[in-house]
Amino acid sequence: MSKAALHSQGIPRLQLPRPRFYAERQDQQESKYDQMGRRVAASVVTRMVPLRSARLRAIVPATKKYAQEMRAASDAELQQIAVDQRRALRVAMTSGEPGVAAIAPAFALVREAAERTLGFRHHDVQLLGAWAMMKGMVAEMNTGEGKTLCATLAASAAALSGWPVHVITVNDYLAKYGAEAMTPLYRFLGLSVGVVQAGQDFETRRQIYARDVVYCTNKELAFDYLRDRMEVRNRLGNLRRKVECLTGEAMRPNLRLRGLHFAIVDEADSVLIDEARTPLIISGQISSDGGVDTALFETAMEAARDLKEGRHFRIPKDEKRIELLDPGTDLLDDLGDEGTGAFRVRVIREHTVKQALSALHLFHRGEEYILRDDEVQIVDEYTGRVMADRSWSEGLHQMVELKEGLEPTPPRETQSRITYQRFFRRYVKLAGMTGTASDAAWELWSVYRLAIARIPTHRPDIRTFGRDRLYASEAAKWTAITERVAELHRQSKPVLLGTRSVAASEEASHLLEQLGIPHQVLSASQDSNEAAIIGRAGEAGRVTVATNMAGRGVDIQLDTGINERGGLHVILSERHDSRRIDRQLEGRCGRQGERGRVEAFLSLEDELMRGQAAALPRRLATVFFAFGLRRAAVRCMRFRQKQVEGTHGRMRRDLLDSDRNLGQLLAVSGELE
Amino acid sequence: MGESFLSADWYRVAPLKCRLRAHVEIHRQRFRGQTWHLVQDHHTGKFHRITPAANLIVCLMDGRRTLQELWEEACERFEDEPPTQSEVIKLLSQLHAADLIAGDIPPDMGEMGRRHSKQERQAMLARLRNPLALRFSVFDPDAFLNATVWLVRPFFTVWGLLAWLGLVGTGAAFAAIHWAELTDNLADRVLTAENGLLIALAYPLVKAIHELGHAYAAKIWGGEVHEIGIMFLVLIPVPYVDASTSSAFPEKRRRIVVGAAGIMVELALAAGATLVWVHAESGILTAFMFNVMLIGGVSTLFFNGNPLLRFDGYFVLCDLIEIPNLGTRSNKYFWYLVQTYALGVPEVESPVSAQGERGWLLFYAVTSFFYRIFISIAISLFIATKFFVIGVILAIWAISNVFLLPVAKGLKFMFVSPKLRGRRTRATVLAATSLGCMALALFALPVPYATVAHGVVWLEDRAILRARAEGFVAEVVTERGEVITGETILRLEDPVLASETEITLARLDELRLRLASVLLIDLVQANLLREQIRHFEGKLELATARSEALTLKAGRPGWVLVPGASDMIGRMFREGEVVGYLLDQADLRLRVAVDQDQAELVRGRTGGVEVLLQRDLTHPVMAHLSRNVPESRAQLPSPALSTSAGGEFALDPTDTEGRRTLQRVFQFEVIPDEPLPVSYIGERALVRFDHGHEPLGFRFLRSLRQLFLRQFDV
Repeated sequence: MSKAALHSQGIPRLQLPRPRFYAERQDQQESKYDQMGRRVAASVVTRMVPLRSARLRAIVPATKKYAQEMRAASDAELQQIAVDQRRALRVAMTSGEPGVAAIAPAFALVREAAERTLGFRHHDVQLLGAWAMMKGMVAEMNTGEGKTLCATLAASAAALSGWPVHVITVNDYLAKYGAEAMTPLYRFLGLSVGVVQAGQDFETRRQIYARDVVYCTNKELAFDYLRDRMEVRNRLGNLRRKVECLTGEAMRPNLRLRGLHFAIVDEADSVLIDEARTPLIISGQISSDGGVDTALFETAMEAARDLKEGRHFRIPKDEKRIELLDPGTDLLDDLGDEGTGAFRVRVIREHTVKQALSALHLFHRGEEYILRDDEVQIVDEYTGRVMADRSWSEGLHQMVELKEGLEPTPPRETQSRITYQRFFRRYVKLAGMTGTASDAAWELWSVYRLAIARIPTHRPDIRTFGRDRLYASEAAKWTAITERVAELHRQSKPVLLGTRSVAASEEASHLLEQLGIPHQVLSASQDSNEAAIIGRAGEAGRVTVATNMAGRGVDIQLDTGINERGGLHVILSERHDSRRIDRQLEGRCGRQGERGRVEAFLSLEDELMRGQAAALPRRLATVFFAFGLRRAAVRCMRFRQKQVEGTHGRMRRDLLDSDRNLGQLLAVSGELE
Repeated sequence: MGESFLSADWYRVAPLKCRLRAHVEIHRQRFRGQTWHLVQDHHTGKFHRITPAANLIVCLMDGRRTLQELWEEACERFEDEPPTQSEVIKLLSQLHAADLIAGDIPPDMGEMGRRHSKQERQAMLARLRNPLALRFSVFDPDAFLNATVWLVRPFFTVWGLLAWLGLVGTGAAFAAIHWAELTDNLADRVLTAENGLLIALAYPLVKAIHELGHAYAAKIWGGEVHEIGIMFLVLIPVPYVDASTSSAFPEKRRRIVVGAAGIMVELALAAGATLVWVHAESGILTAFMFNVMLIGGVSTLFFNGNPLLRFDGYFVLCDLIEIPNLGTRSNKYFWYLVQTYALGVPEVESPVSAQGERGWLLFYAVTSFFYRIFISIAISLFIATKFFVIGVILAIWAISNVFLLPVAKGLKFMFVSPKLRGRRTRATVLAATSLGCMALALFALPVPYATVAHGVVWLEDRAILRARAEGFVAEVVTERGEVITGETILRLEDPVLASETEITLARLDELRLRLASVLLIDLVQANLLREQIRHFEGKLELATARSEALTLKAGRPGWVLVPGASDMIGRMFREGEVVGYLLDQADLRLRVAVDQDQAELVRGRTGGVEVLLQRDLTHPVMAHLSRNVPESRAQLPSPALSTSAGGEFALDPTDTEGRRTLQRVFQFEVIPDEPLPVSYIGERALVRFDHGHEPLGFRFLRSLRQLFLRQFDV
């Protein structure tokens, strides 16, 4: 029977997806012109947000068409509809770009099921958000618009079509919370749900990843993928892998994931951009103890303590690295002549001394790392969380241990490495949602081909913003902040005091203690119950001190009556390195049309305005401030923030570029991870 | 960004067990006292130069040891300068990209395919980028060369060299002896149509023998020659041969011989041709030989032998001064200097690897850059005059390669390069300042501007003193100096005239007496005599007038000049002959011949004019341009302005008069404002037309426009 005949009888042609072993997108070979074209295209695409948002609207009436039918069905009938829809969805998703007609009934079904199982119905704006994600975009939705619920629409529709779905969150708590809250819905639809958490063993993970919808954090997922890749990499070519499946040589039992099909990234900007500055590395103990020895580290550390900044070495502005100056290398040459072993070799000597200098001058206890149980533990720059199982490479970890007077641990060796950029670009279909995407639109498109769709709020945003207050000194700023907090506390309004780092949080806590204001601090040492603390930040008279990342994704529920009294007060004690992070903090109040107020307290001595690179904006700001032109001074700070954003953007671009070159450079060693 | 000792990507290559593939050969060479190793790929015929440390690693690649082991071994061996991990990775990736190593892991087919197509694309692009030297491979001559190499073997011995020296020496000596004949009227002989045909015959022949020279030289010492083809150099087909295997020769001397073989062969041919030319009867044979001499002697030395072009001379120079890859590295070195000293970028890798290279690199970078610009423009213009459209396209292409590409690269470096991070402001300011200064100097700084041309002193006709009657000079009263009206300048005498007058007077007396005697007797006779008397009276009057005319008097006040007065006594002047000059200041002019390029400027923008007589260059005399429209014609006002007399204008060789020029000349008339101390008329003078002040840039643009106007008659 010919194709035409099939169509004429109204039977949709069933197109089976091409079977793939471990689905993932091939790394694109981008030439220079591709990259240039992409950058140009990005600036066009990012300007078309309103157009894209408008085109999404068709899904709402289309879904409503089925509402009556779904409402009329009994639970059992609804579940049968779910089973029936699977086939249509599978066909629709074959191309990866489903149409409105195919997805609308699924959305209507999930909407109805959610009302029956969870008790809430998806808003229209959530339909828009989910539809944007089905189309492979980033849905920009304000905080409190119910992103977790919104994700279920897209996740269920994709899962019903047979696509394994990964819902990616920023921390374990959110993964667990999201999965648990939504499990009844998924179960009703006949879908299985799993949550990947830190500490799970291989077999558990394998089973979880086999489920329809998996909630996990970006780190766990990427590491699991990286471990899989270490296996897959040795079997080149998809065809070969499939043949091996048939001949029984399959390595399937060694793999955790089923492939990278469809990912919904919550807080897309922080996962895809902020965390993309450092690659993920799996390392192991060096098998043989050849190479670097403890004596070398100790000699280098001793030498490094004698070197002076400015004379022997310098730290370039804006960059976290050490540059040895000529007098420094001369001094080291002299030391090297007297030294023994590897220290005599110039390259090794200078390298280890540079590491020692980095440990001494660039890494500070309480900021980059903490000491716990006589061990150096790395503190994540963004979350403020302690990363117990991580260590720095190339002897830096050992140098920090030496600096703290500890016995150096044996160095570890890289076994596998991947950048987030490469990892997420491998997803066959990638989507995301966040509250603050527009500032990152250009980068999201040029790196991940993710367009942004602005989703309107369900209820209008009625937050109020106080004018930025600027102080000459850090001390004056903190006095003003504590006074303000005390005042708000007296009015028994809830206050969230956002700080830049864990150390700043502790400082603020100390000051509040002196005034006798009861408060809660979210810091690295309390990560187990941070969601609980942040969840209670909306109670009357509660003062919470937190870094911007702490407890992200957790809704701050307001106590009854608080909304009438002005809602949650968010106080920014400093500007962050990027405007987006400031906006994330500001987004903590005013959820779902609640009231809220944001105030920023800044000083000319803020971290942002320190260092050589900030010299120009700092001087300008000081002059403006002296003449009472506070607005202009605040604008200088924003200018400086933009500078830093630029620097970080460039660092990510460098990483991406070097990642691209790596493929060619390391072609000899086979495929990349 | 300093290269760190360890590399984050090391783990990827550390466990690899690589082995060198079978078609790879390594040669050891010494350059400036340093040992280098040359990896030769017999498949592609390419060479890769590697350091001793890299060589150790490469040599140890046996497929059993891991790269980690190899690296550790290299570190131990080269304790002072151990290879960094990144260097090893780079080496490995280069070897891999050139298909020189095989790993213990299965090859990535997709990657190989991509690599192959990329290489093809690059080869294609390289051709497009250089359309003035397209290469097309024709056949593999290796077997032929192997079979015939015994024929040439005797030439590559000491005796062969001596014989060559003898031949070339003899040829040179003969050429020197017959230098005048050889060079006489060279341009005419070369640029005729029939000679063009002879050149077209001789050129490929000579060049083919030249290329065979390279091929055999490489063959003699065991090299392989797998490619002979045709290269379209500036659209002219020239054979070429790929003798690059010779770069594997460990002996510098042999590499030089291979490089120089072509030139040596051509010189020998030229010498032989000279001998034939000298001894043979003039005819078609000698004409042919003449062309062989021209191609083999002149064009080879200036073209192939020029190290600034990437031909034989360049490779010989590279080997001679032991700096391989001189061209590329000199460019790199130049940029290294700019980055390090001008922009202050730290840790830029210097391409200098041995003592004494700096000077060479810098020298070569600068000279070859300017030479390349010069030759590109020259070639483009040449083509453009022949085939306008193709030529202009090619010219634009070539010029953009020489100018725009470097500029674009520079801009990209300026704005994008990560090396400039933190120094971009400094770099931009520096570049902008230097460009600004250059622009300022070119387009804003006024520089005195003048045209200097040659002229001759010229006179109006009325200032010329002519003899009014025929006679011998009796006395020169005023040789030179001021005179007033009526003052005697010169006295001539005419002895015939004097005696004629006497005779006439005597006859008159006689006739008058006879008249008196017959007056009353015979009326008819008397009337007759009266007529005769009247006739003689008239004659007398005439003689008196003539004798008066013998005294030359000044007709008006002025300045008299009688050239050669001292030798003049007794000399005869015919009537109308020039005796001297009576100058009024208004009469003295200069006829100045100006090139058509400058004519417009002289006409339109002349401020002051200064005249310097060639005799006395220290005293300028002010002057001004006459309002007469300058004439444009292919003729000089005086032969004194032609090249043969030390002037600027080449004469048409077919002209017998010696005044017709090859190009058109504008003749301007200049009137001096002050008395000009002229010593003779037709005297040469330098005339300086002052155009005020103008920045150099505008002048350059003007010359460029004129160049185009002239070249293309647009």
